[in-house]
Amino acid sequence: MKAFILSNPKSVKDALQLLAVARDSKQAKAIQPLAGGQDLLTEMKEHLAEPDRLVNLKGIAELDYLRNLDGKVQIGALATLARMEKNNLLNEHARVLFEAAHSIASPQIRSVGTIGGNLNQRPRCLYYRLEEANCLKKGGKECFAYSGMNRYNAILGGGPSYIVHPSDLAPALIALDATVFIAGRTGPREMPLESYYKLPSVGDVRTETVREPDELLLSVSFQLPAPGTRSTYLKFKERESYDFALASVALVLGFDGDVIRHARLVLGGVAPVPWRVRAAEAALVGQKADTQTAEKAAELALAGAVPLSGNAFKIPLTKSLIVRAIRSLA
Amino acid sequence: MRTLSLKVNGDTVQAAAPSHWTLLEVLRYKLGLTGSKQGCDKGDCGACTVLVDGRPVLACLTLAGAVEEREVTTIEGLMPLHVKSGGDGPDPVQAAFDRCGALQCGFCQPGMMLSARALLNKNPCPTRAEIREALSGNLCRCTGYTQIFEAVELAVAESIGVAPAPRSWEAQRMDPSEAQAAAKRAAAHLAERRKQEGRE
Amino acid sequence: MAQDEKDPVATWPARENLKVLNHDLVRVDARAKVTGAARYTHDVRVPGMAYARLLLAPLPALKIKKLDLAPALKIPGVLGAVALETDRTRWLGEPIAAVAATTPERAEDGLRAILLEYEREPWAIDEAQATAPNAPKVRSNAPKVSTDGDQASAERACEGAAAVIEATYTVPVQHHVCLETHGVVVDYKGGDEATVWCSTQSTFGFTPDAAKELGLKASRVTGLVEYMGGGFGAKFGLGLEGQAACKLSKEIKRPVHLMMTRRDEFLAAGNRTGGKMRIKLAASQDGTLVGMVADRRRFGGIGNGSMAKFPYIYAVENAYSETLSVPMNLDSNRAMRAPGHPQAGFGMESALDELAYKLGVDPLEMRKRNLKDKVYHRQLERVAREIGWYEHPHRDKPGDPKAEKCIGIGFGVAVWGGGGGGGTECEVRIERDGSVSAAVGTQDLGTGSRTYVAAITAEELGLRLEDVTAHIGSTRLPSATGSGGSTTTGSLAPAVKVAAFNAARAFAARLAPVFGVDAARVQFAGGEVRDTQGAKPALSWKQACAMLPAEGLSARGEWTKDANKRLAASGIHGAQAARVEVDTQTGRVRVLDMIAMQDCGLPLNRLAVVSQVNGGMVQALSYALHEERNVDAALGVMLNSTMEGYKIAGSLEMPRMVTIIDDEDERGVIGVAEATCIPGHSAIANAVFNACGARVRDLPLTPDKVLFALGKVV
Repeated sequence: MKAFILSNPKSVKDALQLLAVARDSKQAKAIQPLAGGQDLLTEMKEHLAEPDRLVNLKGIAELDYLRNLDGKVQIGALATLARMEKNNLLNEHARVLFEAAHSIASPQIRSVGTIGGNLNQRPRCLYYRLEEANCLKKGGKECFAYSGMNRYNAILGGGPSYIVHPSDLAPALIALDATVFIAGRTGPREMPLESYYKLPSVGDVRTETVREPDELLLSVSFQLPAPGTRSTYLKFKERESYDFALASVALVLGFDGDVIRHARLVLGGVAPVPWRVRAAEAALVGQKADTQTAEKAAELALAGAVPLSGNAFKIPLTKSLIVRAIRSLA
Repeated sequence: MRTLSLKVNGDTVQAAAPSHWTLLEVLRYKLGLTGSKQGCDKGDCGACTVLVDGRPVLACLTLAGAVEEREVTTIEGLMPLHVKSGGDGPDPVQAAFDRCGALQCGFCQPGMMLSARALLNKNPCPTRAEIREALSGNLCRCTGYTQIFEAVELAVAESIGVAPAPRSWEAQRMDPSEAQAAAKRAAAHLAERRKQEGRE
Repeated sequence: MAQDEKDPVATWPARENLKVLNHDLVRVDARAKVTGAARYTHDVRVPGMAYARLLLAPLPALKIKKLDLAPALKIPGVLGAVALETDRTRWLGEPIAAVAATTPERAEDGLRAILLEYEREPWAIDEAQATAPNAPKVRSNAPKVSTDGDQASAERACEGAAAVIEATYTVPVQHHVCLETHGVVVDYKGGDEATVWCSTQSTFGFTPDAAKELGLKASRVTGLVEYMGGGFGAKFGLGLEGQAACKLSKEIKRPVHLMMTRRDEFLAAGNRTGGKMRIKLAASQDGTLVGMVADRRRFGGIGNGSMAKFPYIYAVENAYSETLSVPMNLDSNRAMRAPGHPQAGFGMESALDELAYKLGVDPLEMRKRNLKDKVYHRQLERVAREIGWYEHPHRDKPGDPKAEKCIGIGFGVAVWGGGGGGGTECEVRIERDGSVSAAVGTQDLGTGSRTYVAAITAEELGLRLEDVTAHIGSTRLPSATGSGGSTTTGSLAPAVKVAAFNAARAFAARLAPVFGVDAARVQFAGGEVRDTQGAKPALSWKQACAMLPAEGLSARGEWTKDANKRLAASGIHGAQAARVEVDTQTGRVRVLDMIAMQDCGLPLNRLAVVSQVNGGMVQALSYALHEERNVDAALGVMLNSTMEGYKIAGSLEMPRMVTIIDDEDERGVIGVAEATCIPGHSAIANAVFNACGARVRDLPLTPDKVLFALGKVV
């Protein structure tokens, strides 16, 4: 890892001041915020990131919270995954997020990894992670996965890059209609988490979010789901012990009796962004969560899928997960 | 280069290290604490697991400068800390790993035992499923894990003072009905204890 | 020992009389390992030591135009650099240079500063590239096809048979993934002496080469292997990394610590041969195998690869096979736990299984029909009983894949030698204070050799395990052979036994006058020395030892053919069964149970044998479900040179595992490690078919392949 200067600001204000130099595009990569570091340090060890300065956020107490404010759940960027996977409020009212947090990596990584880091983590594509492969994501000319080994890559929303977004929390939070709060030199802004992510075909292909280099993700919030809402996160890993999703399903269903009144269906592991499927959501509303409905929703969700040479299996796999998730909430 | 002040195994120690050094590097290359192993140096194998404020953490993915005010426990500290807190000899987890043949080459074991210790600290009476889950970030290439699970279960049984279920290799030498009965008794004891703890 | 016997010889007592051996022993080094005190090569620190790193070839074939080390030397902290290859590299990851610095991370900075200019040369790193019409010549000596058996008669036998199957089976390149990477610490500061620590499977194997590399007499170099973090066949000899460390140490006149990084380990520390087997197998109506024709390819990188002969274990009347190595510009294969066997086993067991279902014959019965050795029959029947085969609802046809979750059972068998050989010697010392030591330079890979060196000695002298100290892992101790092919136990145990026996005899001779009887009547048991027939009170061990002179007593023993005949044997079997659950919607294979029955002659430490067998099963499970090296042939890179990308089974993958030691085997000691990893993956693949009819002929059985075999992927 390249040597760097470690700054330890004690407030968001100080952190933003340090990060402000990143506004200059030449400096954008020279300074980076550090939260749990469970992704960033691996990137630095692989020389995929070589910042001159790290802004260590861990000393900023005001970013470490998970609270319920009049039915609105607010989670500070530094809340750890371990905290989320043990939180009773989430367990009782937002299973989708509770389960997603638990599904991540290993107990050691969950001890330290934060919600902010998880939402901002970089792709796991084998080509991206290999220093020698100067792929599109690293400023090269080609997405090697497109014609190379692509078992783990995108079947939806791909092109020109075919990474899949590795976050488990993102699909879960988007399914909860979460809002993300970010701040930078030009002031704070708030947006639906869904809009925080961008396809590789939009803007700079090297980035996965709309966050500017001088900006910090400060918190995520969502309304506690209405009574009668059930949710789940179903993650399928190639290896159960510590792995990323081959495909995952974040599902929130609001019921009136046994009829679905509200539906959010977001897929993970299959697209460069958390992949919300509105057509499938629409098909669920007004129906019972029975097999027929579930299968129809699954078909709609994968209707636009275009597999690469080695990942067509993700289509039946994801469909099955969708059906299972829906059935499990019936 | 900066002089770090770290709390390791109950002692405050000073180490001069550049800011990009990980806790693992400081432990292994500055403090001579080589019990924490460098297996992959990238967070994948778990051999460097240490406890920071009681939580299992990958020392290879922790900047030393970021844990200055925290309590770091390495494998070298496990027995002394156990003795300090009134125990006798090695930590029960260590003693059980000893006796269950839960190790071969031993390279993954320090991390494995600290993950087990972290589990037992917050859940003194875990189920097999919880043990497997707690160890899922520690890879072992030699043993096949089974005797490791059994070692953690032995540590649990002994710490709550009940007879453990017969281990897989013992069960074979017993009369099947007797082995089953012993396993049932052990399970009942554990279930009762978990109930007392409000876990079930 | 009988009184009238003139020249008594060392033999194992009857098993029921063993007090230490054949029990569940706590390893003598367990305390050191669980407290973190055990010092592995990676942990060795000597004053003034530099840390080194290797620069590996970034592509599979290069013509080096320029290799300039000077920029590395300018990096603060860098102490020296050496070139290892300045002309051409022939495989991806071949070491080109090495840098030593005050810290590992400075060494890495140094590496990255080295100026390397090269031209790419054509390469072949997958089968398609290696067999293309214009394929580059990977090696100057092109491998030739080797044949085995008579082709015409094998083809004829297949033609007339009641049932024939023809299919192609492939196995991936597997990596050893020892938790401790390869490496050495060379303690040399100039002068004519050195000490070298090495993470190795052979204490005496690397030391002479280290001496040569350092320009020293072998007699002035001490090799040490105190603890080592796994080998599985990959760790023999000094290696290129060890040579580099010696060169650096000589250059900078400081001790050098060079441990490979995990990435180095994947690229340049060996692997298990991948391969492809096209098999035609024929049987008569009753399931007797009558003909086999096979065309086999070995993928061993720049090495030859290995694949055990066909027909594998099962008897086939007329068999013919052709085998060809297909060299590639990748790291050479090395020995890996039962080299060549898991590959051949997968082809053979899968083909036989397919044939059984085709004929509608119970696959367990089909196996027994074609296994002449009855030991397999008892082992297969036992594992079948334990896993519930006889109650299993569908034994001669697969389960219905329309079910969401399907349960299936499969089998496999193993064969291995495991006998010992000459070259191992042991010294047992009895001190006047009653302490005892057994010394032999051998290494303990985690198998527990250190423990049984002490245990055998304790047994012989009537002591407890903790009364004996084992000294191993040094070239200053008596010679020992390397640990490969499960030969350690067969080589080491007889040498230790004879040494302990000789020590006991010598001690008895000294004590005989005390009892006033013939030495043959002096017996060591239960921590006491007594006359077996006399009325004189026994002496405690300590009392007896106090009669020794200050220098104590020592005796030696070595492996001899004669001792081997009495104490060791070779040739083991092994049967395993796996029960799996296949999720037909996702392609997930979960292994629910694995049962192994394993013979191993006299088990020295039952707990260690169980651990060894469990470990073998899990390596096979991991090979079955997860492991494979991925390369991008066009780019010339390995894609998964990390433990994230290269997946080995973790705690959540574990099935219920039961290891049954086959106690009907009454022979002397036999090494057991290799056999245990041979049948598991085949049993799992066969269980997947039994569950749902998905025949996956290409390991690993990842969800994509299972879904494809189920017809779910178009």
